[in-house]
Amino acid sequence: MTAASTTPLLAVRGLRAAYGKIEALKGIDIEINAGEIVALIGANGAGKSTLMMTIFGKPRARAGRIEFDGHDITGVPTHEIARLRIAQSPEGRRIFPRMSVAENLQMGADATDCSEAERAAGLERVYALFPRLKERIAQRGGTLSGGEQQMLAIGRALMSRPRLLMLDEPSLGLAPLIARQIFDAIRTLNRQDGLTVLIVEQNANHALKLAHRGYVMVNGLITLAGTGAELLQRPEIRAAYLEGGRRG
Amino acid sequence: MSATSARPSPAPPTSGAAFIFKKALISAGVALVLFSLMIGVRTEAGPQGGLIYWTRFGDLAVLVATVFGGSIIVELLRQWWGPVDSDRFVPKPVQTAMAFAGRWLAPALLVFAFLIPVIFYNQRYILDLSILVLTYVMLGWGLNVVVGLAGLLDLGYVAFYAVGAYSYALLATNFGLSFWVCLPLAGILAAFWGVLLGFPVLRLRGDYLAIVTLAFGEIIRLVIINWQSLTGGPNGVSGIPRPTLFGIPLDNSDDGLAAKLGIDFSPTHRIIFLFYLILALALITNWVTIRLRRLPIGRAWEALREDEVACRALGINVTTTKLTAFATGAMFGGFAGAFFATRQGFISPESFTFQESALVLAIVVLGGMGSQLGVALAALTMIGGFELFRGLDQYRMLVFGMAMVLLMIWRPRGLIGHRAPTVFLERNQAISSDLVKEGHG
Repeated sequence: MTAASTTPLLAVRGLRAAYGKIEALKGIDIEINAGEIVALIGANGAGKSTLMMTIFGKPRARAGRIEFDGHDITGVPTHEIARLRIAQSPEGRRIFPRMSVAENLQMGADATDCSEAERAAGLERVYALFPRLKERIAQRGGTLSGGEQQMLAIGRALMSRPRLLMLDEPSLGLAPLIARQIFDAIRTLNRQDGLTVLIVEQNANHALKLAHRGYVMVNGLITLAGTGAELLQRPEIRAAYLEGGRRG
Repeated sequence: MSATSARPSPAPPTSGAAFIFKKALISAGVALVLFSLMIGVRTEAGPQGGLIYWTRFGDLAVLVATVFGGSIIVELLRQWWGPVDSDRFVPKPVQTAMAFAGRWLAPALLVFAFLIPVIFYNQRYILDLSILVLTYVMLGWGLNVVVGLAGLLDLGYVAFYAVGAYSYALLATNFGLSFWVCLPLAGILAAFWGVLLGFPVLRLRGDYLAIVTLAFGEIIRLVIINWQSLTGGPNGVSGIPRPTLFGIPLDNSDDGLAAKLGIDFSPTHRIIFLFYLILALALITNWVTIRLRRLPIGRAWEALREDEVACRALGINVTTTKLTAFATGAMFGGFAGAFFATRQGFISPESFTFQESALVLAIVVLGGMGSQLGVALAALTMIGGFELFRGLDQYRMLVFGMAMVLLMIWRPRGLIGHRAPTVFLERNQAISSDLVKEGHG
C-alpha cells in the first residue's frame, strides 16, 4: 500500500521446505510491503502454516531466500529472527495456561530487549486494543475463554513491538462474533499503527475482506495472487473457499 | 463475560450427608464381599494333610466397620480439603484458619529451622535427622529448577549429587584443598556435567528424556564403580576432611574453635555447624531460585514447561533455556553433594543409586511442581515422616505408601498446587478461587 518504500518489508523468493521427504513448500514467492495486511489462504495441508514457520526459521528452508527489510534472514535461528521484531502468533493460540495473563504478556516482551518504559507502553497498547485482557490480568491463561486466549496470543506477540506480525488462523475455533472482534482489532492495528500483518486463514471471506492483498496456496505452491477484493471476485476462489460447501 | 464452561446440568450431588452415607455403605459392601473369604474364613492344612477351616466373623465385622467409618472420614476430608474443582462445604472458620496458616507457614518453618539446634541441643538424633531433611530439601529445590520450573523430567539427578560429592572428596584428599575452595568447584563441575547431559537431550521430551537421564545417572555411578584408580571403586573414598570454620577446625585440638573461644569442647559443635551450613546452602538455593523465577530466564523456564512450541514462536532460545536449567539444577546438586561428602567423611557409589533420584523426584512431585514451600514440606514429610513411622516396624512401608497414595488422591498437583505469579501488578487483586481453575477455552 505504501508507495514510499521501494523494497518490500518481507520478500520470499523460490522458498522450499520439507518435513523429511515430504516437500511442503515447492518454490514460494511472496512479497509483503510495509503497512500492508496480506492474507494467505488455502485448504488444509496447502503449506500455509509451514510457510509462516519457515519465514520464522523453523523448519529451515531447503532452498530459496527470505529477505526482511533488505537483509537475508534465511537460515537465521528463530530467536534472532524474533530480535529483528518479527512476531508470530502460532496456530491454536498456544498461550501458557498456568501463567497469568500478565506473565503471558511479559513473555512476549522478554525475547526482545526492550526497556521498562517500552514494556509499559506495549502493555497499554494491548490493553487499549483488548480491554478484556486488562480485566483478567491476574487470571491464569488457561482459565480464559477461547476468544480471550486468542486476544492474549495476539497481545503477547504485540509485546515485542513487531514490525511484521504473522498470525496463524486467528479465527480458529471462535464464534463468528468473536472472530469479527479479532479481525477488527487487526484492522485497527494496521490503520492506527501502520503494522504490517501476514495472516494465514481458512476463513477466506473474512481474511480477504480484511487484507489489502492475498495469496492463494495449493499443495505448496502459490496459485493466485491479487488484491483482496480481486480475489474475492474470482469464480474459482468463490467456488473453492467461499461457496463450495453451500452449492456442492 | 460468559462462564468458562457450562456445568453438566443434572449431576448427582457429590456432597451432603446422604451422599457420604451412601458412599460409605457401598464401600462397606465391597469390603464385606472382598474380605468375607479372605478374612472371614481361614483355611489351613490340617494334621492329616486335609484342609481345615474355621470362621472369623468377629474380625470381618471389625474390618467392615473400619471401612465404613474410614470411608466417611475420607469423604469428609476430601470435601474439606479436596482438589479445587470438587464441591466442598468448608466452614468459614476453617477456611480462614487455613488461609492464616498458609501465610505464616513458611516464616514459621524458617524460624523453627533456625532454632532447632537451640531446642534440641542435646538430642543428637534429631539434629542428624534435621541435617538429613535439609539435605533433601536442598536437593529437592535444586531438582525443582529442572523438573518443577523447566518441566524437564530428570530421573538421573543423583548423578550431579555424586559428581559434587566425588569432586570434593577427591580434590580434598588428593590436593588438600579446603571445603570452601572445593564447594564452588564442586558446583561448577556438576554444572558442567549438567550441560554435558543437556546437549544430547535437547530434542528429547517426556518419556524419552526421562529414560536418557535415567541412563545418565547409571553411567556416572558405573564409571565411579569401575574407575578404581581414581575413585577407589566400590571401596569409596574415605578420610574426607571435615569442614572448618574458615580455617578453624571444629575439633578437640589446641587451635580448634572450642579452645579459641575458651569453651569446653563438645562433638555437638560440629553437628550444629553442619546444620547451619546445610541450612545456609539450602536457603541460598531457595533465594537464587526465587530471584531467577522473576528474571526473564526463570520465566522462560516456566514457559518452556508450559509450551515449547509457543516459546519458539516468541523467539525464546530454547537451547540455552534448557541448558541453563540443567546447569543450574546440577550446580545445586553438586553443592549438596560436596556437603554430603564432608558430613559423612566417607562416600561410596552405594550412596548414589537410582533410589536417591527417585526419592528426590518424589519430593518435587509431592511438593507440587515448582513450589518452593511445597518441596520443603514434602522433604519433611518424606524423610521425617519415614523416620516417624519407624515405631511401626514392618508396617512402616505400608503406612507410608498409603499416605503417599492418599496424598496424591487429594492433592493431585502436590502439597502446594498453586504457583505464585512472578509479574506483579500495581495493586494486589483478590482472585476468587472459581476464577483460578482450569478452563476449557
